[in-house]
Amino acid sequence: MRAQLMWRTLPSLVLGLLFLSTPVMGSCLDKDQELLRQLQKQADIMQRTSMLLHPYIQSQGLDKDGLKEHCRERPGTFPSKEALQRLSRQELLRALDTMLDHVLHRLMALQRDIPKAQDLETVNRAKQNIRGFKNNIHCMAQLLPGSSERTEPAPIGPGTSPSPTPTPDTFQRRLEGCRFLHGYHRFMHSVGQVFREWAESPSRSRRHSPRRGLRKGARRVPLSRGNKRLLPRGQLPR
Amino acid sequence: MALFSVSKTAFLLAFLSLRTYQSEVLSEPLPWAPESLKVSVNTTSQSLHLQWTVHNLAHHQEFRMVFQIEISRIKTSNVIWVENYTTTVKWNQVLHWSWESKLPLECAKHFIRMRSAVDAAKTPGPRVWSSWSSWEEADVQNSLGQDLLFVFPKDKLVEEGSNVTICYVSKSHQNNISCYLEGVRMQGEQLDPNVSVFNLNHVAFIRETGTNIYCKPGQGDGIKGTVLFVSKVLQEPKDFSCETQDLMTLNCTWDPGSDTGLLKQLSQSYTLFESFSGKKILCKHKSWCLWQVAPESQDMYNFTLTAENYLRKRSVHLLFHLTHRVHPMAPFNVLFKNVNATSATMTWKVHAIGKYYTLLCQVELYGEGKVTQHNVSVKVDGVHLFSGLEPDTEYLAQVRCANGDHFWKWSEWTHQNFTTVEAAPSEAPDVWRNVKIVQGRCVVTLFWKPLSKLQAHGKILFYNIVIEYLDRTSGSEVLSIPAPASGTELPLNQCSSQIRITASNSVGTSPASVLVVSREPGNEEVEEERVKGTEDGFPLSWNPQPRHVTGYLVEWCEQPRDPPCDLQWKNLGPNVTSTVVSSDAFRPGVRYNFRIYGISTERVPCLLARKTGYSQELAPSDNPQVVMTNLTSHSFTLSWKNYSTESQPSFIQGYHVYLKSKAGRCHSGSEKAVLSDDAVCCKYKIDNPEQKTFVVENLQPESFYEFLVTPYTSVGEGPHDAFAKVTTPDEYSPTLIRILLPTVFCILLIMITCYLKSQWMKEKCYPDIPDPYKSSVLSLIKSKENPHLTIMNIKDCVPDSIEVLNKQEGTRKSFTETESTKPTYLYLLPTEKRYSSPGPCICFENFTYNQAASDSASCGHVPAPPKAPPSQLGLLTSPENLLKALEKNYMNSLGEIPAGETSLNYVSQLASPMSGDMSNLPKNPPEPALCSEYKMQMAIPLGLASPPSSGSSSLSSITLLDEGERYH
Repeated sequence: MRAQLMWRTLPSLVLGLLFLSTPVMGSCLDKDQELLRQLQKQADIMQRTSMLLHPYIQSQGLDKDGLKEHCRERPGTFPSKEALQRLSRQELLRALDTMLDHVLHRLMALQRDIPKAQDLETVNRAKQNIRGFKNNIHCMAQLLPGSSERTEPAPIGPGTSPSPTPTPDTFQRRLEGCRFLHGYHRFMHSVGQVFREWAESPSRSRRHSPRRGLRKGARRVPLSRGNKRLLPRGQLPR
Repeated sequence: MALFSVSKTAFLLAFLSLRTYQSEVLSEPLPWAPESLKVSVNTTSQSLHLQWTVHNLAHHQEFRMVFQIEISRIKTSNVIWVENYTTTVKWNQVLHWSWESKLPLECAKHFIRMRSAVDAAKTPGPRVWSSWSSWEEADVQNSLGQDLLFVFPKDKLVEEGSNVTICYVSKSHQNNISCYLEGVRMQGEQLDPNVSVFNLNHVAFIRETGTNIYCKPGQGDGIKGTVLFVSKVLQEPKDFSCETQDLMTLNCTWDPGSDTGLLKQLSQSYTLFESFSGKKILCKHKSWCLWQVAPESQDMYNFTLTAENYLRKRSVHLLFHLTHRVHPMAPFNVLFKNVNATSATMTWKVHAIGKYYTLLCQVELYGEGKVTQHNVSVKVDGVHLFSGLEPDTEYLAQVRCANGDHFWKWSEWTHQNFTTVEAAPSEAPDVWRNVKIVQGRCVVTLFWKPLSKLQAHGKILFYNIVIEYLDRTSGSEVLSIPAPASGTELPLNQCSSQIRITASNSVGTSPASVLVVSREPGNEEVEEERVKGTEDGFPLSWNPQPRHVTGYLVEWCEQPRDPPCDLQWKNLGPNVTSTVVSSDAFRPGVRYNFRIYGISTERVPCLLARKTGYSQELAPSDNPQVVMTNLTSHSFTLSWKNYSTESQPSFIQGYHVYLKSKAGRCHSGSEKAVLSDDAVCCKYKIDNPEQKTFVVENLQPESFYEFLVTPYTSVGEGPHDAFAKVTTPDEYSPTLIRILLPTVFCILLIMITCYLKSQWMKEKCYPDIPDPYKSSVLSLIKSKENPHLTIMNIKDCVPDSIEVLNKQEGTRKSFTETESTKPTYLYLLPTEKRYSSPGPCICFENFTYNQAASDSASCGHVPAPPKAPPSQLGLLTSPENLLKALEKNYMNSLGEIPAGETSLNYVSQLASPMSGDMSNLPKNPPEPALCSEYKMQMAIPLGLASPPSSGSSSLSSITLLDEGERYH
């Protein structure tokens, strides 16, 4: 049990350290490659099912044969990797921001069904991770060209409605929550892969290369808690 | 009132007329039948709610009626519930009734109808019912939705141990729907083709988030389920109690019991209700609640604590007077004043409770393992004097208070430490001594025990020793030994002395311990006795001293006593003649020596008894190192003289000698013994522990034996580990050795004597002839290369004759045999006359050098000429060749001449390496011949010796030798 707790705590610690270097300190990194590397690492950590899904399955008693098989992502809840790859970088960041807002909202709903303080702490850590990730997305968006232009929400294909209306009974809500978390981890895995592709082929889309898109004297927007502040420029639609 | 009486009378008249009417016209319906029956379903509580009215009631008309309600399931004929509901009905009243279904209402249609009757329990006769209402249908299945599968009830909350009915409703035609409870398949019964029911009995609590029950069709992903929230039974709060610390706030606490194990939103709540004031509060915590006291307005309180959840409600009550529930706060500001060696004053403050209350405070003092308790009455400030304290001691003082008028509870303790100051040591150190005479001088070793904390009254800094010699001429000595020493060695100028020892701390000095030392060593010849230790120690006793003694002293230490052991002692009173010496330091297997002294009034100790013993004897762990000597064919001797019986873990009673042999027979004096490894051997027993030699006898020669010597004690013998091995020798070998050795010695002696005698004889009779070749003069001459040599070199010799020895083939002739052999001389010098007719000559012959040559030596000439081929002889004309030939033949002559070989011997004056060998000298040397000439004598093979045929014979003979040399 202690080992499990360690396993859960360690990535959060790593993430915390990662965040410390950027938005928590109140300013963004102006090194796009460094920022991209951080986003990759964060996505790698957030994709781990031990961060959310497994504790949830265990606390809700879904770890039973015949039941856990139904804890699979519903198609359309989150955009596929291909859909993410089709997006431009600016669009991808906007889509990510939107999706993670949905995830935060859903996690808050899931918390109501979690009785143990330990599991609640797990969800809280996951929420902190998501907020930190969103901050880094915001910073990355500032480094992209055209970030000052206010744009429309990104078209993210079949996953545009990631949050199906929860069914009122506890069992269905529980199962949907499990499926949602499964999709969330899969989604973060895809995000990590796409970021990796960014790093491997910086000139894939020269138009959107962060390096080329660096604006001289890019404004450093101080961040406030809850991610509701940012953005006079490079604002991400919600 | 009159109106009421009239109405009542009218009602009774009407009722009587109704009964009359009923009895007359039975087929007429009752005027107060239920109407407007409406049925609603509450799926959350799984209950049917009925609502109806009773018409035709007059205004203000009111009487009790019975409503019989029938509930059918699936079909109207399947009545599952009948209940009579009795209530008072008023005019225009809407009546309600609920029924909770055990089967989820979604699982089946329900039909409800009712009829009514006036409750005529007080009136005799059968009850007259109204007609049944029409069946009302309660069907929830119509509103389930579009899904194909449903599981009910949804999110039901039940108590642990209750029975629950689960059902599924399938809208598809699949029949292979399986349902599971936490992964375990359930077996149910089919209610209708689309509905199956599962009865769960005594459901158990599994987790806070509920029990998952789910169903799924055999194909597809249409899993549906429900969560059954199983709650542990809500327990009644225990130990409900309220108290106040300040008469302002009541703190009510209780033990909620075990948790119901439900989610927070489903968990129980606690409410506190006070009946006198009518106030009620919802407690925020599960185990305590704060209640604000209205100041000086209410003294009595009657509380009801109610624990409640969805399933159950539990209440407890508490009635009390406020001032009887005062639990004061802990005292504070605890201080100590005037702290000295034996007393201290403690002060403290208390929180005030109202204006008129007195607190009772309890003061406790912990120190030196003791606790003292005092009660003090306090209004605001408390004071207490602690006396009779020990100097230099740390104490813990604590105080707590309670309401002195109506005791309820003590407050928490408030602690404080303090330490008393030091005082002079109160006791003299416990001192003992050991007296030795070293080189005629008394040396006293003093030992003292450190003073206990209670005696020292502070940290002992040093010990003072004053030696007063009883002979007043010697004066006295003063020594100071710094602590923490526990002894010292003092060489005394004079044995008769008195020694005073005191201990000092920073405040003062202790009383003195006095020892008197005298030269008399005491009664050292007291015989030592053995004492057996017990679990409690060593019981010692001694005879009382006829003389007056001030006390006795027992000293003891481990064996061996020297070098000085950790001497311990114990002082005893004058009337004591026995004691038990116990110590945690006593160890099993260690011998302790005790001495008991009587202390005279002059402080002079007198040895009364000596005892030795073990607290627990242990079996010897080692065997003696045994040396075996005197090994004979029938016995050997074992010796272990280095084995100390004193330093063993128990008293050695003797020894066992084990002897293993192949024969296995035991002779007298021994007995058979079986060892732990089942080996059989002979055991000899030695009863005297000081007998450390043993002769093992009656052994067989040339036999293998193993032996072991082990000590035995009262608790066992030593280990049977390593047997030594020995093999007895042959019986006759020693005799033979005794005979042969002297014989050989004698023979050798005789031989040496003979040899020496012969040497002596040789020296005296025929000493060695010096070897000219070994002369240093020769080397000197050679170095100068003097052509005129005075010593004849063989190279310069020209042989004039060759003696040919002819031996018979296959035999070697002895000296006597060859005596008849006539040598053949070859005259190598060219003398014609000599060849034809030998004339008189001088012949030098040396019979010493070569036996063979001397054997054939003769001063006559060979009558026949040599037959050596000219070619062979011719070679000899060269001096070098000749010399070589001669040397070779000479060498041959030293060895054994093979049979059939004719040797060629050269006889000359030249010394040979064998010149020293005179053993073969002829006893009668021949007389010199007449002819005087130098002869070179050589032995020529007989076949080669042929007489020269011409004047060139000398050349021929030289040639012959040359060939012979080559042949070799």
